[in-house]
Formats: sequence, C-alpha cells, structure tokens
Amino acid sequence: MKIIVVGCGRMGSGLARTLDRANHEVTVIDLHESAFEALGSSFRGLTVKGVGFDRNTLTKAGIDRSDGLAACTSSDDTNAVTARIAHEVFRVPTVIARLYDPAKAEVYRRLGIQTIGSISWAVGRALDMLSYSKLDVIETLGSNGGVELLHVVVRPLLVGHKIKDLSVLGEIQVVALERRGQTMVPMENTVIEEGDQLYVAAHIVSIGQLQEMLGVERVK
Amino acid sequence: MGTLIIGGGKVGLYLTQRFLEHDYDATLIENRRERYEKLCGEVDASHLIYGDAAEPSVLERAGIRSADAVVCVTGADETNLIVSTLAKMEYGVRRVLARVNNPKNAWVFTPVMGVDSAVNVADITARMLAEHMESKLDDKIFEENPAVDRPV
Repeated sequence: MKIIVVGCGRMGSGLARTLDRANHEVTVIDLHESAFEALGSSFRGLTVKGVGFDRNTLTKAGIDRSDGLAACTSSDDTNAVTARIAHEVFRVPTVIARLYDPAKAEVYRRLGIQTIGSISWAVGRALDMLSYSKLDVIETLGSNGGVELLHVVVRPLLVGHKIKDLSVLGEIQVVALERRGQTMVPMENTVIEEGDQLYVAAHIVSIGQLQEMLGVERVK
Repeated sequence: MGTLIIGGGKVGLYLTQRFLEHDYDATLIENRRERYEKLCGEVDASHLIYGDAAEPSVLERAGIRSADAVVCVTGADETNLIVSTLAKMEYGVRRVLARVNNPKNAWVFTPVMGVDSAVNVADITARMLAEHMESKLDDKIFEENPAVDRPV
C-alpha cells in the first residue's frame, strides 16, 4: 500500500517506520527538514518538506495514487483540514486524523473524519487498568469447599472471545451469563460482549489460572 | 439571528464594531487570553466569547444554532477552514465567509470545506497594486513617447 504520513513527530515517525518495515510505500510530510531525522537511517520511504494541506506538497507526495493518509501533526485543526482535503478533494480511500481534544472527536467523526484521540485512548486505558473489576466469590460450594462460584464483569480484553476460551475441562466452567438484564446458560461458542457478567464455577486449585485468563484479582 | 465572527484581531474587531454600530447582532470569538482581555475594553461583554472556535461547545455557547452567518477571520488558515466546515456541515449556517491568509491555500477555500465566499486579502491587494502600477506605466509610456501628439 502507498501511505502518506503528515507530521513527523513521535507518532508520525513511529507510524512511518513501522509501515516502512512492513514493506509499505511511505511518504512523510513535515514543515521542518530536521524532523525527518527521527525516521532513522534505515528508512526507505520518501520525505517531502512542506505544509500538509498544500496542493503542491500533497501532489509531490503522490496523493493522487495513495491508499491511505494519516494526519498526525501537533495541531488538531491542521490534521482535520488535511484529512478532509485528502478525503474530499483527492479521494484517498482511508484517511485518519490525530486529535488531541476529545471534545472534537464526535463532530469530526460526523464530518467523515476518522480520528485517533491519543489522549482519550490513554485516559481510557489508564481508567481500565485502575478500576478493573474484581473476581467476586459468590458461593463456596460443597462441604469441603472444593469449588467456588465466582462473579465477574468482563473487561474489554475478553470482548469477542468465546465462552470455551474460558473453560478448562474439569476445572473451570462458565455456568451463566448475564447480558442486558437477561441471564442465560451460555453455549461454548457464545461470544462475549461488552458489559457481560459471567458466573464461573472453578475448582479451588484453578482459581489462579482463571485470574490469569480474566486478568483480575480475587476478593473474598 | 446574528453573525458569529471568529478571530478578534484587527479585522474581527473592526467588523464586530461596524455590525454593532449598525444595530446588527454580532458575537466575536477569541481564544488568546490577552487579546480577549483587550477586546473586553472595546466591545460589550455580551458580544464576546472566550474560547477555541474549532470546539463545538464554544460555537454553541456563542449561539451558532441561531446564527445566519459565520465570518472566519483568524490568522490561521487551518482554523478558518475547520470552523467553516463545522459551521456549514454540522450547523447548517446559511452564509459562511472565510479569510485566506496565505494565498497558496486559496484553492482549499471552497464549498467542499463549507466556505461560501473566500476573501483573499493578499491577492486583492496585489492585484490593486499591480493595476495601479500598470496605469502609472501607461502614463509614462505616453509621456516619454516622441510619437505622442504628432500626426499619424
């Protein structure tokens, strides 16, 4: 694929190098010649000095035969304008803009600009890590307490996985799944969705393994 | 009903004052703190908004939903363009005008970016000056040409 990266800062240079290593045809645009140093000596792509939404610059970068463009300068406005020009004027099939201000993301999305909000992504991840759900012990089953019934709210990590990915024959079994107020007994191929709550029966010796699979802590 | 003016530089301020003098409703948006404070001494606070006009919440606070025109006259083309796009595509403002700062960017100021009319100040000034110089040149040709005032 032929990709144009506008803005050769940390994100732009990192993206350009990664794409180059994956054998894509990369052209990087930046206002300052010195920014291209971040690409390193092994970079095989092209560099063009200029403004990202200047017609000559974009033409020189070969925008008319590009498959994708990523606008990642330090200015939200520049990124949004560059992305829109690439999409509307040059009909580049895939265009994305880096956006610092999360408040603008929704509107830009409505304007047809796909955005990557590095700040909101980082905030989301941090929140996720700080407030992950715990593995709640609901009931200890049997007189010798060999099996525990546990409750867990799934983390984004698990979304898209199947119930059988969480099952270990004779040790761990998902016995019920609560989704949007409905509780069911899941099949082994039931796909886990965001917001699902699982009820898991696990042998006491397998709790550690379950914790690892779920990425959660157990609380009594 | 009213006009939103984006960018409280010399042009934005002058335009706002002209509107208000003629009893047209106008609101000026400025995002540089120091400049905003200076504007407070020039324009009534009810016609001033402090904030980044590329942010939808700021435009809404300034009353874009009921505005019938938006005029973008900041010194940054990318800001003028993105505010024009928002004004037209997101809020359906009837009339969107934008100033072109760098004549090289003039080609982008089109209805695709939400701009109904672009004002390319450098281009207008250059043309006027060129016209002026050409007419001066014409005068000179006539003055210095020995053929002038002689029978053909």
